[in-house]
Amino acid sequence: MIMENRPELSPSEIAQLTRRDFLATSTTGLGTLAFASMLEQNGLLAADAQRSDPLVPRPPHFAAKAKNCILIYFEGAPSHIDLFDPKPKLNELNGQKLPDSMLEKVRFAFIKKEGVRLMGSPRKFQKHGQCGMELSDLLPHLGSVADDLCLIRSMHTDQFNHHPGQLMMNCGVPLFGRPTMGSWLNYALGSESKNLPGYVVLTAGRGSSAGASAWTSGFLPSNYAGVLFRNQGDPVLNLGNPAGITPAMQHLGIDAIGDLNRLRHQYVADPEIAARIGAYELAGRMQTAAPELMDLSKESQATLDAYGLNRKEPNLKAERGGGAGQYRNFARSCLHARRMVERGVRFVTVLHASWDHHSNLNNELTYNTGMADQPIAALIKDLKQRGLLDSTLVVWASEFGRTPLGENRGGSTNVTGRDHHPFAFSMWMAGGGVKGGQVYGATDEIGWNITKDPVHVNDLHATILHQFGLNHEKLTYRFQGRDFRLTDVAGKVIPKLIA
Amino acid sequence: MNQPLTFTLAAAGLLLALPARAAVDFARDIQPIFAKHCYSCHGPEKQKSGLRLDIKAAAFAGGDAGKSIVLGKSAESRLVKFVSGADKENVMPPKGERLGATQVALIKEWIDAGAVWPDSASASGATKSAHWSFQPIQRPIVPQIKNSKATVRNPIDAFVLARLEKEKLAHAPEGDRYTLIRRLSLDLTGLPPRPEEVAEFVNDSRADAYERLADRLLASPHFGERWGRHWLDIARYADSDGYEKDRTRPFAFIYRDWVINAINRDLPFDQFSIEQLAGDLLPDATHEQRIATGLHRQTLTNTEGGVDQEEFRCKATVDRVNTTATAWLGLTMGCTECHSHKYDPLTQREYYQFFAFFNNASEKNLPSPQAAESASYNKLKGAWEAEQSKLKSAFDGYVKNELPRKQAEWEKQAQPSARWTVLEPKKAAASNGAELKTQSDKSILVGGPNPATATYTIEATTDLKTITGFRLETLVGDSTNKNVGRTKNGNFVLSEFSVKIAGADGERTVALRDAVADFHQERSGKGYPAAAAIDGDLKTGWAVIPQTNRAHTIIFHIREPLTLSAGERLTITIDQQHGTEHTLAHFRIAATSEAGPLRPDTIPALIAEVLRTPTAQRKPEQTQTLVKYFRESGDTDAAKLQTQLDEHAKKQPKPPETFAATISEEPKARETRIHIRGNFLTKGDTAQPGTPAVLHPFKPRNARADRLDLARWLFEPANPLTARVAVNHVWKTLFGRGLVLTVDDFGMRGEKPSHAELLDWLASTFAAPADALAKMPGAQPNLGWSRKALIKLIVTSATYRQESRAHPELAQRDPNNVLLARQNRLRLEAEAVRDSYLTASGLLNPAIGGPSIRPALPADIAALGYANSVKWTESAGNEKYRRGLYIFFQRTVPYPMLMTFDSPDSNALCARRERSNTPLQALTLLNDSSFFECAQTLGKIAHTENSGTLEEKLKRIFQRCLARSPMPSELARLKQLYAAQLQLAQANPEAAAKICGTDKKDQPGLAEQATLIALSRVLLNLDEFITRE
Repeated sequence: MIMENRPELSPSEIAQLTRRDFLATSTTGLGTLAFASMLEQNGLLAADAQRSDPLVPRPPHFAAKAKNCILIYFEGAPSHIDLFDPKPKLNELNGQKLPDSMLEKVRFAFIKKEGVRLMGSPRKFQKHGQCGMELSDLLPHLGSVADDLCLIRSMHTDQFNHHPGQLMMNCGVPLFGRPTMGSWLNYALGSESKNLPGYVVLTAGRGSSAGASAWTSGFLPSNYAGVLFRNQGDPVLNLGNPAGITPAMQHLGIDAIGDLNRLRHQYVADPEIAARIGAYELAGRMQTAAPELMDLSKESQATLDAYGLNRKEPNLKAERGGGAGQYRNFARSCLHARRMVERGVRFVTVLHASWDHHSNLNNELTYNTGMADQPIAALIKDLKQRGLLDSTLVVWASEFGRTPLGENRGGSTNVTGRDHHPFAFSMWMAGGGVKGGQVYGATDEIGWNITKDPVHVNDLHATILHQFGLNHEKLTYRFQGRDFRLTDVAGKVIPKLIA
Repeated sequence: MNQPLTFTLAAAGLLLALPARAAVDFARDIQPIFAKHCYSCHGPEKQKSGLRLDIKAAAFAGGDAGKSIVLGKSAESRLVKFVSGADKENVMPPKGERLGATQVALIKEWIDAGAVWPDSASASGATKSAHWSFQPIQRPIVPQIKNSKATVRNPIDAFVLARLEKEKLAHAPEGDRYTLIRRLSLDLTGLPPRPEEVAEFVNDSRADAYERLADRLLASPHFGERWGRHWLDIARYADSDGYEKDRTRPFAFIYRDWVINAINRDLPFDQFSIEQLAGDLLPDATHEQRIATGLHRQTLTNTEGGVDQEEFRCKATVDRVNTTATAWLGLTMGCTECHSHKYDPLTQREYYQFFAFFNNASEKNLPSPQAAESASYNKLKGAWEAEQSKLKSAFDGYVKNELPRKQAEWEKQAQPSARWTVLEPKKAAASNGAELKTQSDKSILVGGPNPATATYTIEATTDLKTITGFRLETLVGDSTNKNVGRTKNGNFVLSEFSVKIAGADGERTVALRDAVADFHQERSGKGYPAAAAIDGDLKTGWAVIPQTNRAHTIIFHIREPLTLSAGERLTITIDQQHGTEHTLAHFRIAATSEAGPLRPDTIPALIAEVLRTPTAQRKPEQTQTLVKYFRESGDTDAAKLQTQLDEHAKKQPKPPETFAATISEEPKARETRIHIRGNFLTKGDTAQPGTPAVLHPFKPRNARADRLDLARWLFEPANPLTARVAVNHVWKTLFGRGLVLTVDDFGMRGEKPSHAELLDWLASTFAAPADALAKMPGAQPNLGWSRKALIKLIVTSATYRQESRAHPELAQRDPNNVLLARQNRLRLEAEAVRDSYLTASGLLNPAIGGPSIRPALPADIAALGYANSVKWTESAGNEKYRRGLYIFFQRTVPYPMLMTFDSPDSNALCARRERSNTPLQALTLLNDSSFFECAQTLGKIAHTENSGTLEEKLKRIFQRCLARSPMPSELARLKQLYAAQLQLAQANPEAAAKICGTDKKDQPGLAEQATLIALSRVLLNLDEFITRE
C-alpha cells in the first residue's frame, strides 16, 4: 500500500477518466442504450445490495447502553487469588492439607490428591479508589480506575480444560461449531463501520489453545466471523496489493470488476452480484482504512506513553509470556482497540496467551501483569476522556481461575504454581452501562468455593447482551431444527451488575 | 421437610380403610388416573423426559432418569415420589389438578402388589407419528403434463412441471452450451472446462452430445475428488486432532483416498455406507473395508494436559452418534443427548440405545504402507541384511579363531579383587509405599507403587567379625526390570548411603569415607559422583545416566576398621530424595574384611569366583560364563566387532509407520448407561443397542446387536429416511437447495419438502432393490444405490438444464426459486474457487490422492496454533498446485482461504455449506500470492501467444476464464481497461517489472505483459468466474 513516487494520476482521477471514457464511447460497439439501462440498473443494484448486506445496522430489542465491546481475553486462566480476590486466611493455612471431604469429588487436571497442600499468595493487596476495591500489588494501574471497574469475584464455569473452557467463555457452550460473542453481536446489530469489519481480533503473545475457534462465527454465516488483524506485514491478510500493483492500478481493476459485474447483473439479475460489487468496494475502502487505523503516527506522545508502548520489558524468567516485544504488542493492541471503537467496529477481541501458570507462577504472573496492567488502565481512561466509555463495554475475561492448592504434578515437591480451578474465579467489566466501583460476589476464605452471588458464564453473557439492548432468550438462530442462543438453555441477567 | 412425614401418616390412615375393597385393578383404578393426570405429557403425543405411561413396555422401561415404576416397591418408585409430592423439586403433574391422597394410595398399592398390567389394557402399541418423513416412501405416479411444448426428458421434469403448471409457470429455456458444459464440469468434477473441451462440446451436433458429456465427466477420476469432498464435509475430515494440542494426523489421507476411490468406482451408496459404519464387522473384512471405518476416526482428540480421557472418549462417541443420525437419517438426534427431544418423537433412552452401538468401538491404527513406501522399505531392508550378515561372519570368525588365545593371556594376569560377603538382610522397608522383597541371592528387589522419593532401610547381619568397607551393587534383571533405577529413563539418584550398628550397647553410626564407583553420571557442574552419596547433603547424589541398563558398583571405605560384637545388627539407610521417581530398582549390599584401598570391582563376583577356581576344576557352565564375560567385557577387539554389530542393528530400517485410523469392536462389551443430563459422570439406567421406536423394526443378527446390524438397518427397504436424505443431499449439491431445505433436519422443525412426490420418486428409484422395482408400473432402470446413475438422471433432466437467469417477475413470485422455474446461480465452494484459478492459469497439478499439501502461508498465521506448535512448511515443486481438497486441514489454524470461502471447520458434520459474500473474499482473490500467481501465469501465456490482435488475445483469456466469448459491451470495457492499464504500466516500468515477477525492467514488452496480467486478474475476480451459472 505504499504509494510509489511516480508521476501518475491519482486513483480517483484515473477512475473518473476511464469511467467517463467508457460511458461516452460508442464506437467500440457498445451502444449508449446499454449504458442507459445499466445506469437504470444501478437503482436496482442498490436495492439488491441493501437487501443482501448482512452487516446493515439493525436496531436492538430495547434501548441499548453499550454499542461496542472490547473483550480482553487472557487465555490460560490468570490466578484470581493472586490478582483480584485477597485471601489472608489462605496465607495462614499455607502448607496445610485440605479436608478430604473437599477433595473427594473434585477432578483436577494435574494435581495429585495425595500430599497436596494449600499455597498462600505472596501478593500484597491494597484498597483503591473511593470504592476501596482491593486489588493485588501486581495491578497498580488498574487500581487507578477501580471506580470504573465492576469486579466479579464469583464467576464459575463448567469446564476445567483450556480449549473446552475457552469455547464456553466465548460461545456459551463447550462445543465446536457455535458462534462467538462477537459474531452474535454483529449478527444481531450489524456493523456501524463502512470501511472496516464489524468484528476484529488482535493478538499478542504466543499461539493460543483455541486457535481460530476463539473468533469463529460457527453456524452463523462467515460475514460474522472475527477478522484477524496481524502484528506484522499487512494488518489484514491479503490487504496489500501484489508487488507492482500500484494503488491506481488497483483502483482501475476494482472499477472494471465492478462494471463487468454490473453488466452480468443486468443479464442474470442475481442479487448476489450486487453483494459482490459491494464487497469489492468495501475491500477497496478497507485497503485505505485499515492501514490508517493501524498507523499510530498521529497519536500524541502522551497517549503513546500512557499506553506504555515504549516501556522496557523486565528481565524475568518468564518463558510462557511470549518472548520479546510482547509489552509493545499488547500496548499497541489496546490502543488499536480504542481506534477501532472510534471507527465503529462493533466488537474487538484482544487476545493474549498464555496465563497457564502451573509452575513459576510468581515470575510469569509478574511478567504478564506488567505487560497488561498499564495499557488496560490507559485504555479505560482514554475511552472515558473521549466520552466513549459509556457506550463501550470493556471486559477482562478468561476461561477459569486457579487452585488455592499448589500444584504437585507428578508428586513433585517443588511447588511453584497452581492448577485449573473452574469453581470460582474473578473477572471484571467497565463502561457500557455496567455499575463501576463495586465488587460483586464473594468466595470462601481460601478462594475455593463461591459463598455469595454466583455468576455463571451464561449469566455473564445474558448480562452483556442486555447491555447491548438484546434479550438473550430472543436472540436466536435456527440451525438443524433448533433455535440456538449464546446462552444455550440457561443464563439470567444480573441486575446488580448494571448501573 | 415435614411434609413427607405428614403425608405418609395420612396415607397410612387411608390404607387402613382399604382392606375392605377388592384388589386394585389396573384398568379400573390406575389407567384412568394416568389418563387424566399424566397422558398429556407422557402419552401418545408427548413423552416428556422420555416417559410414556400409555404403553405397558414403555411405562415399565421408565424415562430419561431411569425406572419410574419399581415392581413391588412403591417407596422406590419415582412415580410415587413425584405424584405424592414427596420430592419437592419434582412435583407431578406440575400444572393442573394434583392427585388426591386416595389416588396416590391406589398407585402405591398397585405397585406394591407387583403392578399388574394386563396386556389387554395397553394402548395402541408402537409409537406412531404422523410426521411426513416417518411415513413409508410411496412410489408416486409420474404426473401427466398438459403443456405439449414443455420438455419432459425424464420423470423429474414431469413432477417439477406439474407443480409449475399449477402456478401457471413454465420451465426457463435450456441454458446455452457454454453454460451447460461449464455447469456440468464444475458440478461433476469441480473443475471448469478447458477451451478445447468447450469447443468440442459446442460443435458436437450429435443428438446425445449432452449425455455423452455427462458420461465423460462421470467417468473422470476428478469426479471422485469433487463428490468425495462433499462427503468429507459430512465425515468432518481433517488432518489434525483438534483442541489445544491439535497434533497432526499425517495419515488421515488414507481415508480420504478411500472415499475418492469408492466414489470413482461408484461403490453403491448402501455398501459405501455400511463399510464406513461397520466395515470391520463384515464377514472376511478386507483391508480396504477396514480403512473405510476411518469415517468415525475423524472425531476430535483432546491431548491437552490433564484431560479426563473417558470424558473425551464419550464426547467422540456422542459425535459418532450425532453424525450417523444426521448423515443418514436427517435427524437431530444430538438434541437427545441430555434430555428427550423437544419436537421429535425421540427419547433420551433411545439416544443411549443408539450410543450403545458406538460405545463398544475401539480405535485401532492399522499398518497401511503405501505401495511406494513398501518398495523403498524392502530395498533398504535388503541392503541392511546384506551388511548384517557380513558383520556377523566377521564377528563369528574372530570369536572362533582369535578369542581363545587372547582369553588365555588375559586369565594369566586377571586379578580377582577383594572378597565380598553379601550381607544377610533381616528386614527391608521403604518409605512412601514402595515394596522391598529379599531375593534368594540376598539382593533386594523393589516393587509396588513408584513414589517420587523413597528411603530404603535394610537391617542385616553378617558373619564377618571385622569390616573395612561396604559395597552397594545396583542390579539389572530380566525384561521387567531392565534398568537400575525406577524413573522413566531408568536412572536413580543415591542421595545418601549410611550405616548404623545396633547392639546391646546401643547404637553407633559408622563413619564412611572415600566412596568410589565404577561409573558416574557427568553433567555440567558437579555431576553425580560417588562422593556425593556420603557428603551429608540430600540434594546431591550418585547417578549413572546414560549407563542405566547395566549393573554398577559403589564402594564405601570405613574410617576405622569395624569390629562387630555378637548379636550386633547393621542398619543401612539408602536415601533417595531427588524426586520424580529417581529410586533404585534392585540392589545388593556386601561387606569385606580385606585391607584397602578397595576398588569398585569391575570383575563381577561371579567371574571373580571362576577366576579363583583353577582351570581344571571349573564346571562347564563356569567356563561358558567366563568365555561370555571375556567376549563381552574383556577383549577390546571383540567388543569393537560387537559394537559394529550393535551399531548396525540400530540402523535397521523401520517398516513404514503409515497407518490407517480405523474402528474395531472392543472384545469385551462396554456397558452403556444413560448419562443423566448428558453428564458422563452421572450414570442412569443401562441401555442396550437399539434404534428409535418411531422408525422401522430393528432385527439384529444375534442377541447382542452391533454396528453392522445398525448399518444394515439403515438400508432396509422399510426405512423411510435414508433414501430420502441421500437423494436430497445430491439434489442440494446440483441445485444449491435441497428438495427439503433443511438437509440435516427431516424432523418436525425441519422444512417440509417442496416437491414431496419428486423426493419419494427419486428415493424409491435410487433405493429400491431390483425385484421390487421391476414390478412397478413404468419402472425406471434400477439405480441400485448407484450414485453416478442418480446424478446422471438428475443432470440430464430438463429441470437441471435450464438457464439460471432470474426474471424480475419470477424473482417477485418465487425469490428463492423453490419451484424450479430456472436453475440457480451458485458461488463455488472454496476448493472449486482455488481449482478454477489453477485450471484457468494452467498451473493445476491434477494428481489424485496421497498425503495432504501445504500451500504458502504467512508465518504469523501458522504461529496462531497453540504454543507455536503448528509447523507449516510450504510444499515443494508443483505439489503446491494440487487441488483444494488436498490442502492440509489443521483444525486450530485452518488455511485462511478455505475458511474465507466457507469451508466447514471440520469439528462437526456439515451437511450444508454457507455461501457468504465478504470483503475478505475480495481481498483474497485480488491479493493472495497464490491467486496472483495464477493471474501472472495467465497474463504471460496471453502475452507469449503472439499471434492475433489485442481483441483476439482478450477473447482467448476471457474464454479460458469463463468458457464463453465476451459480449461486445464486455469486450469494450476490457479494451478500455487495457488502454488505461497500459498507460500506467508504461509510465512505471519498475511496477510493470514487479507485476511480471522480474527485476529486469528493460525487457521489451514488459508493459504489455504487465497489462495482460492485470487484465487476467480482473477476469479471475469476476463474480461469474467464481460462480457456477
